Amino acid sequence: MDTQFEECAEEIGRLQRCINDLVSLLALPAIWSGGDTSYIGRTVLDALMGMLRLDLLYVRLSFSGGDTSVEMFRIGDLRKQVGWPEEIGELLNRWLGDASKQWPPPTKIRVGVEDMSIIPLRLGLQGEYGMIAAGSQQADFPTQIQTLLLSVAANLTTIGLREAELRNEQSRAAAELDRRVVQRTSELAAANAELRKEIAERTLVEARLRHEETALRRSEARKAAILDSALDCIVTMDHESRITEFNPAAERTFGYRRDEVMGKKLADVIIPPELRAPHRQGLARYLATNEAHVLGLRIETTAMRADGTVFPVELAITRIAFDGAPSFTGYLRDITERKWAEEELRRSETFLAEARRLSSTGGFSKRIATGEIRWSAEVYQMFGLDPAEPLTHERMVSRVHPEDVHAFNEILKQQERGVDYEHDYRLLMPDQTVKYLHVVAHAVCDVDGDLGYFGAVQDVTQRRLADEALAKARSDLAHVTRLTSVGAMTASIAHEVNQPLSGIVTNASTCLRMLAADPPNVAGARETARRTIRDANRASDVITRLRALFSRREATVETMDLNEAAYEVIALSLSELRRHRVILRQEFADDLPPVMGDRIQLQQVILNLVLNASDAMSTVEDRPRRLVISTAAEDDDHVRLMVQDTGVGFDPQSAKRLFEAFYTTKSGGMGIGLSVSRSIIESHHGRLWAVPNDGPGATFAFSIPRTSEAVIRAGVSGPVWTSGVTDTPQIPRKL
Amino acid sequence: MVTRSLVSVVDDDESVRESLPDLLNELGFAVQAFSSAEEFLASDYVDRTQCLLLDIAMPGMSGPDLQLELTQRGQDIPVVFITAHGDERVRPRLLEQGAAECLFKPFSDTALLAALTTALQAG
Repeated sequence: MDTQFEECAEEIGRLQRCINDLVSLLALPAIWSGGDTSYIGRTVLDALMGMLRLDLLYVRLSFSGGDTSVEMFRIGDLRKQVGWPEEIGELLNRWLGDASKQWPPPTKIRVGVEDMSIIPLRLGLQGEYGMIAAGSQQADFPTQIQTLLLSVAANLTTIGLREAELRNEQSRAAAELDRRVVQRTSELAAANAELRKEIAERTLVEARLRHEETALRRSEARKAAILDSALDCIVTMDHESRITEFNPAAERTFGYRRDEVMGKKLADVIIPPELRAPHRQGLARYLATNEAHVLGLRIETTAMRADGTVFPVELAITRIAFDGAPSFTGYLRDITERKWAEEELRRSETFLAEARRLSSTGGFSKRIATGEIRWSAEVYQMFGLDPAEPLTHERMVSRVHPEDVHAFNEILKQQERGVDYEHDYRLLMPDQTVKYLHVVAHAVCDVDGDLGYFGAVQDVTQRRLADEALAKARSDLAHVTRLTSVGAMTASIAHEVNQPLSGIVTNASTCLRMLAADPPNVAGARETARRTIRDANRASDVITRLRALFSRREATVETMDLNEAAYEVIALSLSELRRHRVILRQEFADDLPPVMGDRIQLQQVILNLVLNASDAMSTVEDRPRRLVISTAAEDDDHVRLMVQDTGVGFDPQSAKRLFEAFYTTKSGGMGIGLSVSRSIIESHHGRLWAVPNDGPGATFAFSIPRTSEAVIRAGVSGPVWTSGVTDTPQIPRKL
Repeated sequence: MVTRSLVSVVDDDESVRESLPDLLNELGFAVQAFSSAEEFLASDYVDRTQCLLLDIAMPGMSGPDLQLELTQRGQDIPVVFITAHGDERVRPRLLEQGAAECLFKPFSDTALLAALTTALQAG
């Protein structure tokens, strides 16, 4: 944007200088009036040398059809390279040759050590008034502008010479006439003839003049083209603040037609009311004292459109270099969009700062090569450190919770690998309070290829405490519903325990009787004793499972096999299912990936789904009460467990409400089983859902993430919070 | 040689079918075990069975169902129910419906012997 603008400004400056130079050239005829031909030559030489910074300018002025001529030249910095003008004269002569016979071509001649481009310009259509040769060592010479200025100068010089010659001729003719009138009337006729001849010539010259005027108009047209095609608004005004030019860009921007505003006061047209007085004062001061505050500067101000709306502009004002009353050109650019973008940026920065403040988030950056760390004010506040003091590793670590210092330093080491990371650690503040921080850092390479990090630090203490409270509540509720579920199974559980106990008693009795026989049946006794032990183990297993379900203990997360967990639940509920004449089929996937979770809570969910399915089929008499429990690995790194029944199913419209607390379709249920189940599954980052079957019944299923490879390999989880007060499942976040 | 009374055991629990016959043998009975009511009905032991040790809850035909079926067939075999569901309320109803006894698992060998003795005397 800036580069473009500077190029544009440079181009405008160049064109402006060109216009100024043109105006200066056009002023030359005014100062020539009455001057002789060498004066014309001198002023042209001086003007062109000044404007074009030429190294060499040569003028040959011819009179009387080429019989006599005057030569002049100016040398720029060439004087440093060659000793004497004569040497240049020699070079020029060689190039010119006999110019009257053959017009010399543009050339390059060697002057000193450098080449100089020389171009010739005719004075008069055939060069009958001589020539101008301009030379420059600039590589791009002649530029379009230089050519334009030189040709205008040549044309003007021709006119000047012709006029001067005419004056001479006229005065000579008049003198002659007088002398002849006094001396001999006979010569009057000849003089008259001479005069007529002069008049004829004059007619010719006028025709030429008209031709030159056409050329001038052409260059005016060029100027107009520049004004028309300029992207910026170009508005010129005279010393009375009247608008003298208003280009198409200005018409588009301000909503005025050029002819509406030409000659009007600038202040009344495009200057907002509150800026009109300063504008008038500034102009008056400049006219009185030549003291300018805005000329040549790029300033930002406001302007007003035809419909009265005010908008920001960038403005540069230059004075048009011209003798007489000053006039000014203003270049204006509508910067509404830029201003808006700047404002947007400021606003979003404010929003960001506000968002940071509200979400207790701070930012940091770090350059690995230098170890230089920058913190936002929020991070200093989290650490309780003074931003005024230098930030050292020791100061940082002094706040990190002692149990987390090792992990914290590990992360610092890992930064050198240049990978993005997320991690959590605690701060132990001087007043012994603990803060939980969550850090997300993004590795970046700067322009030099140096590694650095940008990151956000969030104080998640409040969230963490809320999570803990929620987990505690969930755990309590889960325990209560577990007791409820198991309570509902009392009869089945008694059966489950009594069965092996019965085996124990029977076998033990048999054993005793075999030993008491005469002779004792030792082999039989051994066999029954073995069965006694087996049944005792079986009873023990049942008790262990029951104890687990009844237990109220901290939630623990472990890598576990969902098939195995489901199998244990089935083992406990088999009698219950049998009692309800439910036919069970297990479809467990082989090689099911392990999951990360709380075994008891997940078993509670499975038990709940199984008992619900069994209940749903309790009134079904016209079809088999079939229950299918299946497991499967899903594509998206999840493991799924489905419980499908052939029961009464549910109304699709109430599908949503199924998982709401205290929503129940059962007379004996509290309606919290499914809502607790869903809460458990969600705490495992999983999903629990229900769909009606194509046939009778419904399918309830949940899916939870499989243990990530990294956890299986390392045997550790991401977060390092291990405080004993929590009842929250330690589910690893994404590593 | 005294002919031993034939006691048929019908229970879906394998460990019962494994342990109970041994004890019954020790107590001096001849034993035949079946895993379901249907299996028993299909066998040729129905006529020879002098006492039935019958589980209440089984997949398919339940214990009381079998008892009813036998009554309807005119097979008046004394029945001793055995159950692991410790619900005392079922006992009076079963006795009312003609069961000789109802034993709750786990039961002792003396309780079993007493029940069988009662049943066989009734038979």
